[in-house]
Amino acid sequence: MGLWSKFKQTTLYKSIYRNEYPDTPRNQVLVILNSVVLHLHPVKVPRRAIRVSYTWGLGGLSLLMFLILTVTGVWLMFYYVPAVPDAYFSVQALETDVIFGMFSRNLHRWAAHGMVLAVWLHMARVFYTGAYKPPRDFNWAIGVVLFTVTVLLSFTGYLLPWDQLAYWAIQVGSNMAGSTPFIGKQVRFVLLGGYDIGLPTLVRWYTLHVLLLPLAAIVLMAVHFWRVRKDGGISTPIPYEDEEETAPAPEPQPLGGAAD
Amino acid sequence: MAQPTPKYQQAGPKVKPAEKEEMVYTWPYLVSIEAIMAIAMTLALSLMSMFVNAPLLALANPEQTPNPAKAPWYFLGLQELLLHMHPALAGVIVPGAALLLLAMIPYVDRDRRGTGIWFSTRKGIPITIFSWVYTWIWELVLILIDEFWVTKDAAGQEIKGIERHLTFWLNDLFPGMVKIGVGWEWLGKILLPSGLMVAIPWILAEIVRRRWKANTREVMIALGTFYFASFVLLTIIGTAFRGHSMLLMWPWEVTPPE
Repeated sequence: MGLWSKFKQTTLYKSIYRNEYPDTPRNQVLVILNSVVLHLHPVKVPRRAIRVSYTWGLGGLSLLMFLILTVTGVWLMFYYVPAVPDAYFSVQALETDVIFGMFSRNLHRWAAHGMVLAVWLHMARVFYTGAYKPPRDFNWAIGVVLFTVTVLLSFTGYLLPWDQLAYWAIQVGSNMAGSTPFIGKQVRFVLLGGYDIGLPTLVRWYTLHVLLLPLAAIVLMAVHFWRVRKDGGISTPIPYEDEEETAPAPEPQPLGGAAD
Repeated sequence: MAQPTPKYQQAGPKVKPAEKEEMVYTWPYLVSIEAIMAIAMTLALSLMSMFVNAPLLALANPEQTPNPAKAPWYFLGLQELLLHMHPALAGVIVPGAALLLLAMIPYVDRDRRGTGIWFSTRKGIPITIFSWVYTWIWELVLILIDEFWVTKDAAGQEIKGIERHLTFWLNDLFPGMVKIGVGWEWLGKILLPSGLMVAIPWILAEIVRRRWKANTREVMIALGTFYFASFVLLTIIGTAFRGHSMLLMWPWEVTPPE
């Protein structure tokens, strides 16, 4: 008996997992029902809905990057000081004095860009596969809000290193928001916590970045995933009748005139 | 006899009940795909983080404006619009309208048929390709005209771009208006760009309707492609082709921020 099989007989293993290893149909069902993470899934899924070439796993990858960002973000918070100009020096110290500091900052940065990209591509995928159609209409709308929250999360994080790149990117961005018709000045004032980018801006954006926007994202994601299940799971093909009847059977195409 | 309670029905034509789907167990068929993709993605990001460092420039200095000052890449499409129209339009109204219209798509296209199929119908791919090319040609031509159309007025002052030319001509044609304090900037900065941003997709929808006898879904594909193609093109131009003073230049001439 191997070590793994022995471990599976121990009280510890049995106390953690609520059923035996999922290698029989019964346990394959139970593992989904019994696990807090896996129970987001249905027990069975349509084979053609889970092809990688159908979804490209983009929704899942967005979630994965959100998780990476949460873990690395908490790590960064241990060292980051939300003050002017200490913020800049704390990021510098993180890069040079902290073990894996540079790596975790890099991971946070690249995952942030990756998440914006993945969410955008996920939206394109859902659009081009017609997966927004009823009954998934409302979930599409939630998705659009989630896209907005993702961009805002990324943008609020952009200011935090308090370097030239951050400062001037936020200058450009807040000036754009400041051109809102009629209430532009007020919008800019609320965003910056004053008339110029300064400590109040940093504190506001820091709070939004580490607290309010992640919470909003989590709540919206919970609804988003729940609705995926309630609205019938990953979409499966509903063809137009005439497409089915008149669609010619795919014929093998001759290659470069070599056939005949 | 008691009628069964009608099930909550979505609008649109009745959908033929789907043939029985072939179902597979989530464990291991889906869970394994998710695990592999998660590991691959984590690995790729970790590798990138080992070799490519996140930028950290000099300490923020409000006195020293970099040239050009750029927003993060996902806003550079909007920053590109900022060069061609009123800031309220580029910075607030266009992105706001874009998000609202995106969210509204399924409330216009209510037919469940076409769900779950890439491009939905056989016309979907040709319409997507046409819409993409159509959008890029329109926007490239407009950007190039706005950048390179430069003439001089009688005093030798440079007039650059569509909006300034329009303003200049109108002021010339109706000098009385300027005297009573009416400028024509709003026409070039607000009315013309808004008109183009409505007309270009509108014409696209009309072409697709006539040439392909497109249904609602296919028109949506055309309009959605207009949005996606615009986002991609404007972001690429704003990121890689805008350098010093936000002038149009080749990517190798654009200096990275210092």
